[in-house]
Amino acid sequence: MDSILQPYIIRSILAILLIAVNASVAGSFTVFRNVSFLVAGASHAALAGAALAIVLTIYGIFNLDPIVGGAIFAVFVALSAGYAARDEGINTAIAISFAMSMSLAVLFISIIREYAARVWGLLMGDLFLLTDHDLTLMAISTLFVLIVAMLFYREFLFVSFDMEGALAFGINASIVNYLLLTIIAVSVVVMLKGVGAILVYAMFVAPAAAANEVARKISDVFILAFVIAALSGFFGILVSFYAEVSPGAIAALMASLTYFLSVAFKKIK
Amino acid sequence: MKTIVVENVEFSYNRENALENVSFSVNEGDFVAVMGPNGSGKTTLLKLILGLLKPKSGKIKVFNLDPWENREKIQNYIGFMPQKEHISSNFPILVKDVVLLGRAARKRFSKLTKEDEKKAKEALMAVGLENYWLKKFNELSGGQQQRVLLARALAVDPKILLLDEPFNGVDIPSQDKIIEVMDKLAKKGVTILMVVHNINPLLHHINKVILLNRKLIAFGPPSEVLTAERMVETYGSSIPIVVCEEGYAHPLFGDTHG
Repeated sequence: MDSILQPYIIRSILAILLIAVNASVAGSFTVFRNVSFLVAGASHAALAGAALAIVLTIYGIFNLDPIVGGAIFAVFVALSAGYAARDEGINTAIAISFAMSMSLAVLFISIIREYAARVWGLLMGDLFLLTDHDLTLMAISTLFVLIVAMLFYREFLFVSFDMEGALAFGINASIVNYLLLTIIAVSVVVMLKGVGAILVYAMFVAPAAAANEVARKISDVFILAFVIAALSGFFGILVSFYAEVSPGAIAALMASLTYFLSVAFKKIK
Repeated sequence: MKTIVVENVEFSYNRENALENVSFSVNEGDFVAVMGPNGSGKTTLLKLILGLLKPKSGKIKVFNLDPWENREKIQNYIGFMPQKEHISSNFPILVKDVVLLGRAARKRFSKLTKEDEKKAKEALMAVGLENYWLKKFNELSGGQQQRVLLARALAVDPKILLLDEPFNGVDIPSQDKIIEVMDKLAKKGVTILMVVHNINPLLHHINKVILLNRKLIAFGPPSEVLTAERMVETYGSSIPIVVCEEGYAHPLFGDTHG
C-alpha cells in the first residue's frame, strides 16, 4: 500500500488546518452572532458567483478565478442580508438572498453546460483534489479573516452580545456588523473547494456550536472549535485514504456528531 | 447646572410620530423616572439623548452639546443600560468580559489596562456582585444579569446614566440594590434617567417624573405629576392613586406592570 504521505494528502492536511482556523474564528462568531444560516446563504451564493466567473471566462469577457467570483457573491449576499435585516429579521433576509443566488447559480450553470462540472466541484468539494493555487488562496483569505478578527475582536464580541449597547457605548455597530458578516462569508468560501457547499455548514457551524455548549469561557470556544474541526478533518482524511470515501463527508459527519455528543454531555452534567 | 435640555423635540419613524413637541430639562444630580405606556416614545427619548437618532425638529443639548453632532463626546459622559431582552448571551461570555465591554469600546484598538480592570471590579462591587467576576453571564439570574449590565454602565464613570427598564424580570433584592446604587450616585451629582413601568419602588428616591405618551403629559416632582387625571391622560385608563404614610402618591398599577 502507498505511504500516506503523498503530496495530495499533505495538501489536504494543510487545507484541514486552514479550514479549522476558519471554523474556529469565523465559526465561533457565527454562533455568537446567531447567524449560522448565513453560512448556507453565503456558500450557495458562492456557487452562483463561481458559475458567473466561469461564464465570463469562457465567453472571453473577463478572466476571473471561480473562487474569487464566489467570494464576491458571498460577501455581497452577507452585506445585503445585513442591510435588509435592519428592518426585518436577518434570517428572512438570508433566506431570500439564498433563493436568489440559487436561481442565479442554476441560470449560469445552464449557460455553461459543458463546464458545469467545475461548479458541481464546489458543491461537493474534494480535499484530495486541491492544487497549490487553491491552498495559496485559502491561506491568504484565512490570514485576512484572522487579522480582521484579531483587530476587531472586542467590537465583534460587543455587537454579538448586545447591538444596542454597542451603539450607545460608541461603537459604529453597523460597520462592525458588516465587517463581521464579511469575514464569515469569506471564511465560508475558503472552505468550499475542500468540503463543498453542501457540507460546509457542518464543518463551519458544528465545531463552534459543540464547543459553545461545553466551554467555560470564550477563549475555550475558539480553541475547542479548532481542535474539533481539525480532528474531524484528519479523521476524514485517514478513513478515506483506506476506504475510498469522501474525506469531507466523514469530517462533516464527525463534526456534527461531536455537536450532538456535547449537547448530550451538557445535559447529563 | 443643566445637564440635559430638550426643546420642542419631534421624532418620527417612517412618518409615524414617536415624539411630538417634547420639552423638559434636568439638572446635575436629578434622579428622573420616565413613565408611559408601550410605544409612548420612552426608549426613543433615550436614543435621542445618546445621539443615536436625530430629532426631526427641535433641539437637544447634553452638557450644552448637540448629541447628534457630537455623538462621540456625548457618549463619553453617558452610561447606558439597555433592555435585557435585546441581549444575546448564548455564548460563554464571563461577567468580567461584559463589564469591561463598555470601557473597551471607548479605547478603540488600545489594550485594556489594570486601571480598566480596577474600575470594572469597583463597579461590580457597587452592585454587590464582586464574587461573580469569573462567572458565566448566562448562568446568572435575571436580576443578577441586570446588575452586571448596570455595572458595565457604571464602569465608564458616567456623568449621566440612562437606564431602559432596569427592573424587567428582576427579583426584589436586585431591584433594591439597583435603587440603592442610583440613590448614592444621584447624591454624588450623577444625572439619572430611568425608564420604568412600575414607579412605586422608586418613588421615595426620585425627585422628578416624566409622563410620556408621544407628547409630554407632565414633568416635575412626583407629588405634582402623579395625579389621577394625568394618569388617565397618559395611560388611557384610570389608575388609582394611594397616598402613603410619608405623603407620596403611589399609582396602583395592575399586576401586568413592573
